[in-house]
Amino acid sequence: MTDSELDSVYTHLCKTMTGLGEANGPLFLARFALLAIERIGDAQASLSLIDAAGENVSASVPQ
Amino acid sequence: MSVEFKPYPFEAKQYAARLPELKGGHEAQRHAVTIVGGGPVGYAVALGLAKHGVRSVLIEADESVCYGSRAICISRRSLEIIERLGALEGFLTKGLPWTGGRSFYRNDEVLHFTMPQDENQKLPPMVNLAQYHIEQFLLDAAERHADLIDIRWRTKVTSVQHHAHGATLALSTPEGDYTLDTDWLVAADGGRSTVREALGLKLEGTTYEGRYVIVDILLDSARPTERLAYFDPASNPGSTVLVHKQPDNVWRIDYQLRDDEDADEAIKPGNVMPRVQSLLDMMGDKAPWSPVWITIYKANALTLERYRHGRVLFAGDAAHLVPIFGVRGANSGIDDADNLAWKLAWVVKGLAGETLLDSYSDERVYAAHENLSYGTKSTEFMAPPSFAFDLMRTAVLSLARQHAAVRSLINPRQTSAIAYLASPLNAASDTFASGPPPGAVLPECPLTIVDRDGAREGHVTDLVAPRFTAFYFSEDGATPTPIAALETTLAERALPFALVPLAQRRPADTPRLSAWDHTGRLFPMYAAQPGTLYLVRPDGHVLGRWHGDVDATAAHALAALDHALRA
Repeated sequence: MTDSELDSVYTHLCKTMTGLGEANGPLFLARFALLAIERIGDAQASLSLIDAAGENVSASVPQ
Repeated sequence: MSVEFKPYPFEAKQYAARLPELKGGHEAQRHAVTIVGGGPVGYAVALGLAKHGVRSVLIEADESVCYGSRAICISRRSLEIIERLGALEGFLTKGLPWTGGRSFYRNDEVLHFTMPQDENQKLPPMVNLAQYHIEQFLLDAAERHADLIDIRWRTKVTSVQHHAHGATLALSTPEGDYTLDTDWLVAADGGRSTVREALGLKLEGTTYEGRYVIVDILLDSARPTERLAYFDPASNPGSTVLVHKQPDNVWRIDYQLRDDEDADEAIKPGNVMPRVQSLLDMMGDKAPWSPVWITIYKANALTLERYRHGRVLFAGDAAHLVPIFGVRGANSGIDDADNLAWKLAWVVKGLAGETLLDSYSDERVYAAHENLSYGTKSTEFMAPPSFAFDLMRTAVLSLARQHAAVRSLINPRQTSAIAYLASPLNAASDTFASGPPPGAVLPECPLTIVDRDGAREGHVTDLVAPRFTAFYFSEDGATPTPIAALETTLAERALPFALVPLAQRRPADTPRLSAWDHTGRLFPMYAAQPGTLYLVRPDGHVLGRWHGDVDATAAHALAALDHALRA
């Protein structure tokens, strides 16, 4: 995947989520996560991705 | 809070209004070209025309060059154009060259990008200098062409009438009002273009909600020149901050306002100073500083549908507004001017039909859409337009330190020259394995230039001039008869043209202009063999390229010019 392709995919993700509205955001991303896990088809790889995604996550922006 | 603003370290010369010779309130002399707007784009058009020997009148409402630093990043492509306009020296002496930038998320550096730079280049990828300097250096060059460029200061356009053969402007000055007639009108009068309004035309596209406060300060700092972007920094939590160094200790700081912040309150010095101080404390810059200028910015991604409306041509911000992120505003305006000037000059001189100017609109509207699509990507990151963009940005930034693959999404996508791959001017060409296709700009390469003054090291772009140029590649600089005949044929038609042999080894001394590939990199870069011919426009874009049979190549080159000029 080129940088340009990554750009297109990223933008499409953002625009699709925008269209669904903020309330549907988490469910949309949860569904995408499941579809991606299924597509990756490799349990070990998916487990590592889950761990990486969970690292250094801080929910609130300090005011 | 009482705050002492300091002035910019720049004194603008003030000019008086001047009335031309009038007959009954109307200028006696009719003009071929009138340019409205004395900013970087207006001057670039006037200078471009002057290099082709075409006169212009330039109308400027103010009494001096601009106030405020405004456009501050001038790209390599713009510097190439400015060199051809005869104004480069000031840009390189005053401007601060830079090659890359760093982005930070909270306390971590998450991206270090560099712009294209290698041993083939003549000019730096980018220089920083304030718009008052940009305008001053172009104005200095324009004054060196005072016989061809007539600048009318303190002159406002109050009405525009346009028709099939030109336009009539009503003008107002402190010395009195008058009207003038012009065959061609170039509207380079900025974002709030009077000419565009007078013609009832509207820009179309998107205006972003995200607002940035722009602050210029005077600060003595030894930091290097690089673009700095801070996302959610400790000093300005939840905000995005950009820092650019300018000459003479002027620093540009841009910071994003939250959606719920009131703009009028936000730009009060009492609110700006603490935020700037907090940023400088975080950066570790301890020297005393003073504010110079505070303003609010909102990103726009807008363009006219076309840039030619009969005898009226639009360029720069009068034609399109692009987001500052990626620095494509002034730079795309200067590129507009470079595309327009030769075409308008050739039409005025009777060397080409008016439809050549439709290609200005086709090519530069296409370029605007390219710039807007990159600018939009950059803006979606710098000023996320929805909760989704905001959320995904946080994801990118928080992953970037550990995961290199996402860093490209942080890249501001800095401006570069646009290739007009679908331009109506492009000539049917032979297939090449690589190298610049029709519509592309010339890739830069060092070479040795040989002429009657001897030999000197230079670059490919040194050979671009106010004419069509045929680069004929060979072993030793020889030009077969059908190729050499191009010069005679085109001279008979009074079409500005030069045949420049490019040789693999040093050619025999001749007074004619030629060059040779002393690094050995030029030929492969252009996928050239002996017998290859590249036909190049006055703006440095490729018109067509061929290799093989010498008679066919010569015929193709002539056909390409006929097609482009429809003379």
